[in-house]
Amino acid sequence: MKRIYYKTALFAGIVALVTGCTKLNEEVLDESLSTRGLTERQIADGQVTPIYALLPTLHEHTRYFALQEISTDEAILPYRGGTDWGDNGIYLSLHRHETTSTDPNVRNTWNTITQGISRTVTAIFSLKNNTDAIAPAYIAEARAMRAFYNLLSLDLFGIAFIKEDPGAVSKIVRGAEAVDYIKSELLAAEPLLDNTSGPGRLTKAGAWGLLAKLNLNAPVYRDVYADAFQFKTEDMNEVINYCDKIISSGQYALSTDYFAIFGNDNHNNKELIFAVDQRADLNGHNRLAYFSLSGDQFPLTAFPAANGTDGPGITSDFYRSWVSAYGAVDPAQADPRFFKQNVSMNTNPGDSCVTDFNVDRGILRGQQYGLIRKNGVFEKCPDGKFKVGKLFNASRSNPNLPVEFTEKIDFTTAGSNYSTGYRVEKYEFSKKSASGRNFGEADISIVRLADIYLMRAEAKLRKGDAAGALADVNTVRLSRTAYTVQPTALTGTLTLDLLFRERGFEFYWEMNRRTDMIRFGKYEGTWTEKSNTDKKKRIFPIPQTAVDGASNLPNYLVQNSGY
Amino acid sequence: MTKKSNWNARFIPGLLLLTILSFTSLVQVFGKGVPRKSNHYPIEQTITGKVTDAATGKELTGANIAVKGSNKSSTTDANGNYSITVANENAVLVFTFVGYAAQQIPVKGQSVINVTLQPASSDLAQVVVVGYGTQSKKDITGSVKSIKSEAFNKGIINAPEQLLQGKVAGVNVTSASGEPGGAMNITIRGPGSLRAQSTPLFVIDGVALDNNGTGGGNPLNFINPQDIESIDVLKDASATAIYGSRGSNGVVLVTTKRGKAGLSILTLTTSLGVSTMARALPVFNASEYKAQVVKVGGVLDDKGADTDWQKEITRTALTQNYNVALSGGADKLTYYASFGMQKQEGIIKMNDFNRYTGRFNATQKFLQDKLIIEANLTATGTVNNRPPISGALGDALSNNPTYPVYDANGNPAQYQNINNPLQSFNLQKDITKINRILGNISASVRLAKGLVYKLNFGVDNSTGTRDYQQMPNLVPVIDGRLETYYTTNKNTLVENYLTYNFNTGDHVFSVLGGHSYQKIFLQGRNYSINRFAITGIEPQYNPGLGQELTLANNRPGGYAIENELQSYFGRIDYQYKNKYLARANFRADGSTKFGGNNKYGYFPSFSLGWKISEEDFMANSFFSNLKLRAGWGQTGNQEIPAKVTQASYTSSVSGSTSYPLSGTGPYPAGITFVRLDNPDLQWEVSKQTNIAMDFGLLKGKLNGSIDVFRKVSSNILLTSIPSDPIQPVQTYFDNVENMKITNQGVEIDLEYRNVTDKGLTYSVGGNVTFIDNEVTNSPYKVITSGSASGSGLTSATLNGYINNQPLGTFYLLDFIGFNTNGTSKYRDVDNDGIVSDKDRIAAGSALPTMMYNFSGNLGYKGFDLTVNFNGVSGNKIYDNTANSFFYKARLVKGINTTAEGIGSPDESTSNAAGISTRYLKNGAYLRLNNAALGYTFNTAKMGIKWATALRFSITGQNLFVITKYDGYDPEVNTDRTSGDGVISSGIDYLSYPKARSIIFGLNLSF
Repeated sequence: MKRIYYKTALFAGIVALVTGCTKLNEEVLDESLSTRGLTERQIADGQVTPIYALLPTLHEHTRYFALQEISTDEAILPYRGGTDWGDNGIYLSLHRHETTSTDPNVRNTWNTITQGISRTVTAIFSLKNNTDAIAPAYIAEARAMRAFYNLLSLDLFGIAFIKEDPGAVSKIVRGAEAVDYIKSELLAAEPLLDNTSGPGRLTKAGAWGLLAKLNLNAPVYRDVYADAFQFKTEDMNEVINYCDKIISSGQYALSTDYFAIFGNDNHNNKELIFAVDQRADLNGHNRLAYFSLSGDQFPLTAFPAANGTDGPGITSDFYRSWVSAYGAVDPAQADPRFFKQNVSMNTNPGDSCVTDFNVDRGILRGQQYGLIRKNGVFEKCPDGKFKVGKLFNASRSNPNLPVEFTEKIDFTTAGSNYSTGYRVEKYEFSKKSASGRNFGEADISIVRLADIYLMRAEAKLRKGDAAGALADVNTVRLSRTAYTVQPTALTGTLTLDLLFRERGFEFYWEMNRRTDMIRFGKYEGTWTEKSNTDKKKRIFPIPQTAVDGASNLPNYLVQNSGY
Repeated sequence: MTKKSNWNARFIPGLLLLTILSFTSLVQVFGKGVPRKSNHYPIEQTITGKVTDAATGKELTGANIAVKGSNKSSTTDANGNYSITVANENAVLVFTFVGYAAQQIPVKGQSVINVTLQPASSDLAQVVVVGYGTQSKKDITGSVKSIKSEAFNKGIINAPEQLLQGKVAGVNVTSASGEPGGAMNITIRGPGSLRAQSTPLFVIDGVALDNNGTGGGNPLNFINPQDIESIDVLKDASATAIYGSRGSNGVVLVTTKRGKAGLSILTLTTSLGVSTMARALPVFNASEYKAQVVKVGGVLDDKGADTDWQKEITRTALTQNYNVALSGGADKLTYYASFGMQKQEGIIKMNDFNRYTGRFNATQKFLQDKLIIEANLTATGTVNNRPPISGALGDALSNNPTYPVYDANGNPAQYQNINNPLQSFNLQKDITKINRILGNISASVRLAKGLVYKLNFGVDNSTGTRDYQQMPNLVPVIDGRLETYYTTNKNTLVENYLTYNFNTGDHVFSVLGGHSYQKIFLQGRNYSINRFAITGIEPQYNPGLGQELTLANNRPGGYAIENELQSYFGRIDYQYKNKYLARANFRADGSTKFGGNNKYGYFPSFSLGWKISEEDFMANSFFSNLKLRAGWGQTGNQEIPAKVTQASYTSSVSGSTSYPLSGTGPYPAGITFVRLDNPDLQWEVSKQTNIAMDFGLLKGKLNGSIDVFRKVSSNILLTSIPSDPIQPVQTYFDNVENMKITNQGVEIDLEYRNVTDKGLTYSVGGNVTFIDNEVTNSPYKVITSGSASGSGLTSATLNGYINNQPLGTFYLLDFIGFNTNGTSKYRDVDNDGIVSDKDRIAAGSALPTMMYNFSGNLGYKGFDLTVNFNGVSGNKIYDNTANSFFYKARLVKGINTTAEGIGSPDESTSNAAGISTRYLKNGAYLRLNNAALGYTFNTAKMGIKWATALRFSITGQNLFVITKYDGYDPEVNTDRTSGDGVISSGIDYLSYPKARSIIFGLNLSF
């Protein structure tokens, strides 16, 4: 019998082992799934920062920049030398207005904007329960940012999203309904917005700037495929109203030093109203500065690996708009916004040894001079200074091909070589960057005072006040007095064409061009490799991934026509 | 009520019933009390003798001699001799040996019994491992294939998959490249999942492994192939359902060698392999290059040398293998111990893979053999040194062949415009060291007649350290950097189960019920440091010499994941009159990975068999064996990432979550969603039906089987895009409703074995699989994967999975020649005047539609010869290497290329070679995988007393490949899985070239 007890006990033990093991609750070891231990203020801050945190990513060269600039006459990106920027032809398609719904840059831009909207929705929803005194102001800020992201979505994709409850499905609105929604949101937020936290955050003046922009483009947004947009007086009056508010606030000033607006220490530049606050130790990227430069241009003495990428150049059509404006005078001598020389060797061939080095700014043409890299280090003069010399495409296995930027840039073999096209170095090359390339500290302008003046000028002009418009244009032109090359006033009668040209001179590569071209009726024009006149291409396709994802809700997310 | 809860309701009671059933029978058995021990003491008697092969007269080593009706057994020694004690002269001895027909001989007063065993007319006597038990092959109802060690592929073997390649119908084994110790892909009856894990479940001596590795390469490299006794592959759901939520991709059961009582053997095995690159890519040599560059209008940069860069980066590689195995035992204790070392040089310089293994397996019986303890322990260390392989291959294919490799001082020459791969070899190293210990101990207690309780406890602990170092250097300037990755994978298993066998004459039952608990803990951490002084000291040996640490460049990383799996399983086998077979398997799996609403999954299977040849009416038929099998089962694939069912929002300071709210001060932490929750998330479900026929003809000389199967996987796991685009994260994990992946096909196995009167033994065999894969009801227009590599190809994808096409489909523009200006011309499928992504077509799949293998064995006197061929057809390979390396525009710039690259006279020298069907190639091949010729010396005849067996062999591996594919090798799969984990297939991009090897082996037993 003993044995039986032993066996039974053993078996009971087994049963106990079998039944009492685990509840199978997953324990997460490497992520904190709560905000335990934070104060209400910290939670409030934690809700607001993410709504801005996507701005640097959004303004990357492969997202908003690409969509707003490479689709226009301001920028073209060929398959460089048959080795670089091929990217399966997406940049060629973008320039030719042949982009399809699978384009990764379109998808990434869409994803960043929709995620931005979502973060504002989450913030507004959570902040309603926040007891800190800052909460109402933060809610207003999040609402205004939601309107900002929706404005971008409306501009690029023709739709906006209305969403209050994070758990509900957004309402998709288009056309006039979308314009009215965004306007009402900005107006609701505006009274509660702070006016001292700019330019990195959306302030009262920032909201006014967005309202001006929205009203100016409202005729386009209401009827995006129209043959001619109806610029109604009441819209234009709104534009003038909000621009007046900003200008009369006295809080902002035009920068006498044009390139300082895009400099590394531009955060306190009084021209900036709303900008992406970049910090090299947190979120900044330097791509807008380096990607257009040559692969053999090395702007930092400390980083022999930090070079350009031979990205886009300006089209010859855009360059010709400068030449035709100034006739016999070279644009560099006629307009301080065109070029700022930093490399003295450009004009003084003997000056080939330097202690510090900065690349030129503005539009770079012809032979480039710079730090010479051999075997991974910069060459030095006998006195220990850095040697500056004529640059060649040495890193491209073309040591005999000079880095000489040419006017011709297109999709032909000759037009696609490494050094074709005039380049743009508008933003200053980051000096705080740890790797030489990856980080940036210059704030990226979203709304600045010059745009306020030029928007007001446009509204006046569209209402028939050409003289008032010209005055605003010249206020901007004549403010850039910091350099040897002095600005000149525009004379004669201001036309829409001249104003469009002027916007190009002032805002080139600032991610306004596509919107401007559509509003001025230029987007169906012909330039370099672009001849498509399809009005349906004014807005981009909704990414195929999003359309697929929404396929379970019939007629919910309808693809834009023409795609 | 959903389908799932239906299962729930139906099977929980079933399981209970099963448990009660086993319990009641247990009580019954106990109730009868313990049989009284007999007081009769018989006269013990010792029998000796020799066991030989009836055909050749060769002594058989390791043949088993058992006394019928007792637990006594013995084994023949190296000379075929045995000795066994029997209780009395009425005893009957049973002689068995793998591959031979069993014989029963009554003792009847004899003291010397010599036996000649006939080679088995069929292999029906084989025992097959089926998961929580074994089964006689003749009673199998599912689709199971057992491969014994004699039949394994021969050559330089790193992982058990290689032993199997081509050996089992329906199993597709593909090495990702020719790299020693590199990743292997193995799928059983086709992939049923879009995400990466279509790997079968591996179970080593009863311990289910976790498929996660610790630091690159194939996670199964830790097993010494020479320790493996057999590999059993469970293919259909009726066989794999006992492994429930891990059964969908099939199960591979590896059994290691054990000692045999009464036999002490020391085996020394050593081999030396010589490997060379099987095929180089035909880039131009210097004189061709000089002519061709000029011809295409390029500027010739001639440095005068004649360099074969591919030759410079490769070598004749040696592989040494040493293995010592000791095995033996007495009546109560048997053991097997082995120590192995394989030092393998890669054919690319500076690359090697070394493995050190030790194994100890022991079995001990206690309490009148009622308690059997088995312990298995294996410890392995692998060291893998990798230079920058794909970079070096890219350089070797592109570099100007007129550039000398070395400078005047004999050092690798430094060039401004090209990269000398030999210099990178000196400057970059990637060293992975993995230590893995797998041990399990099991106790079987015979509680009563036919009732056995088994406890199995196993621990598999693997730690990997990977150092990636860049040596500091002056020219070119490199600061020096060391990155170290520590990885841990700890897998613990506890299993308890009862088996109960009983028969009542015509009715034979076997019942199994049990519980399993498994816990897997994964952890990874990485650290780095920058800027080393040029001291000649490698950073890996003294990271403290690094002089720079910044969060931007050296932010540490890490993760830790814990999964638990709790299961209840059961099985009932029933046989009637040894003709009609039935089997039901069941498993309930609960996993921490599953969502809160679906914690448990239920996986049943049923199968039936009919041994037609046992019927009376078949008595005089020409079939020696004829059996019909049919089964159905439901299994799951739970290889979903951890944590994905839970929403996660974190408070962190990072570029994408934080933003300055004021001019100065610390950045506030942003609270953001990282993941959306999905409490409904569950395993992928696969339902499989299998109908098969096993047959034996010509008196058992010809054996074969035909299986027809259909496996439908549903609940496909994907990162789905929410319908509302306004979401905190772009995707979430979801089981896509209605989407299905179907694999269906036919498998045919055939083998003919014969022994001639003159002692020539020979066999020829083979298998062929026809398989179709199809994706249906996908809600997505296309699910892309397989991102292309190379300049101009960024953002392009090669694979696109669409409805009514197989997985692994290439979704590409259709190349139709050249435009008048010499640029590539593609078919405008939708006729919209623009060639865009919308014009892509399904251009074939990377999955073969046919896989086949044939092998032959020949034995005569001391000689033996084995050949193994395997091949696939119906598959395509995307030659991404040619796409990004071989085209005219590159040669114009002085970059070397092949004749293929400039072969189109209409092509412009500036044409960008985009992604298209132009580089999609036929991947069919037939390979002589291995051929081995051996000679076994008759040591006894030669008067050598110190050795019982001496065998020399010469093995050729990868002796030839017949294929139209012109890359390094058609067996290739460069992993280009997309960011959201969807598998890529059939892409060749700078893959490690395959080796051709000759291995000289010596095998010595004492």
